[in-house]
Amino acid sequence: MFASSTARVRPGARPPLDPELRRRATPVVPASARTLPVGSELARLVPGGSLRRGTTTLISASAGAGGTSLAVGLLAEASKAGHWCAAIGLADPGIAAMAELGLDLRRAVFVPRPQAGWAEAAAELLEGVELLLLRPPARVPHAAARRLVARARDRRAVLVILGESHHSWPLPVDLSLSIEHSSWQGVSDGHGRLASRLAEICIEARGVPRPRRARLWLPSATGEVAVLREEL
Amino acid sequence: MERVLALWFPGRSSEGTTGSELRELQHALEVVAVHCPFVEPLRLGLLALPARAPSRFYGGERAVATLLGDLLDDAGLGPVRIGVSEGLFASVLAARDEIIVSVAETSAFLATQPISVLRRSELASLCQRLGLSTLGRFAALDEGRVLERFGTDGVHCHRVARGSEGELVGLRDLTISARLALLDEPPPPPVQPSFFGGSSLAAERAAKAAIRLQHQLGTAAVSVARLRCGHDPGERAELVPFGAPEGRPVSSDPWPGSLPAPSPAAVLTKPLGCRLTDAQGAPVEVTTRGLLSARPARCTVEGEPRTLAVTAWAGPWPVSARWWERRAARARLQVVTEEGVGLLLSSERGAWQLVGRYD
Repeated sequence: MFASSTARVRPGARPPLDPELRRRATPVVPASARTLPVGSELARLVPGGSLRRGTTTLISASAGAGGTSLAVGLLAEASKAGHWCAAIGLADPGIAAMAELGLDLRRAVFVPRPQAGWAEAAAELLEGVELLLLRPPARVPHAAARRLVARARDRRAVLVILGESHHSWPLPVDLSLSIEHSSWQGVSDGHGRLASRLAEICIEARGVPRPRRARLWLPSATGEVAVLREEL
Repeated sequence: MERVLALWFPGRSSEGTTGSELRELQHALEVVAVHCPFVEPLRLGLLALPARAPSRFYGGERAVATLLGDLLDDAGLGPVRIGVSEGLFASVLAARDEIIVSVAETSAFLATQPISVLRRSELASLCQRLGLSTLGRFAALDEGRVLERFGTDGVHCHRVARGSEGELVGLRDLTISARLALLDEPPPPPVQPSFFGGSSLAAERAAKAAIRLQHQLGTAAVSVARLRCGHDPGERAELVPFGAPEGRPVSSDPWPGSLPAPSPAAVLTKPLGCRLTDAQGAPVEVTTRGLLSARPARCTVEGEPRTLAVTAWAGPWPVSARWWERRAARARLQVVTEEGVGLLLSSERGAWQLVGRYD
């Protein structure tokens, strides 16, 4: 009898909490409700393997280096899981590419050209969506940035800023992903086609002392955002 | 497909000398928006709205149509003809006849319509010569044959005629929202979109925020994306105002001749002119045989001071809309610059344009 009862419990597994005890305890917000999921590949790169609600992430990349793809790739999993997202300031969005990267267009709101009203638009949409992708104008006033970061924290939303450099956002961020170099594969003198892109990215996170570097398919030849295998 | 209610104001479909038609459309939009916040202008003299939610709220499609007709008559905006059917195209036709066409009757209703309702004069005259005078007879053709004979736009029309696509390209006047915005009227009265049950609390919250923002920035400034059929990344998707009637989800059938994934993550709303030259500075063109006249070496994009060095390219791929056209009207070319940036160019009648960036 002893043998059979131990065999059923995995080694190291905790016994379930006594229901009576659970009833009397005050529940905390479970971890799954404090975060939004990211795809399994990007989860290898971001601390905790998910996006923490209420935080700000900066994605910086020079024009055309893949910043939009990385940002959309980061939001795709949460979007697929049923969370609403909005994109502000992406003046010329490539919708087909976003769908290919896994964004669920049924739950995506676009404000491509908010002009001078970008900060108000962002504040307004943070009331309604859980993921906000914002490409701000060249110079962001401190006060506007502080208000948005506070609003995101307050609404427990994930704010993702897309800019060309670390200076695109005047405040320190919780997570920073910068594309340092990227190159296309599959195309030569008139042959082939743009098939896949390899990007070298640098990941810095609050509370993580040293930046981390990784190479990422953005996307791979099969269309996914994936970490280069030899890095693992 | 979605139930759509269309409102047609006969005699106000084109602009007269006083410009009153645009103001009347704006007025009608405000009157309808009080009860149906997702109403959308399609063109002069034509409004549409998703019928399902208001008809549940007001007790049926007929009740909504009666209510709106009365309100518009009271506001001095009549006569208005109202129709309800499946999809935008059929509902506009239903409005002409002032009828409500049920789901089951939609294909029979479409089949009786003359081919001219597709608003394609070339296609209509060719069909008539082939003895295909109604949508029903056109719809009975095999899709492959339609593609051969009428090109990709013909396939789109065929799908509309069959009722498998709800919205006819060309039905909307894409400038109408901007023209209404120019009237600089005060925003429509605040609305309570929560009546029209969102699928969930999250959807309702998002809708409320989006609608509040539409009041600040204008209806057209806040959009949702929809995939369509087409060759180019720009044709394969469109942004429509948040709350616009839903089109039918596009079938995932491969579209002949479209570029394979990945698509450019930035598709220019307004393509930029550009110059593609060889190492000697001579322009590179697409030859009649569909090849490049020389190896491209440099690319200068309109409005950008720097000339980009081209290190690799792929294509050109012709976009032959119709097989009987000897020369491909359009061709696309992917180029990679020295910085590792991928660009999608399009060539039309000897001129290059930057249409997308693989960002």
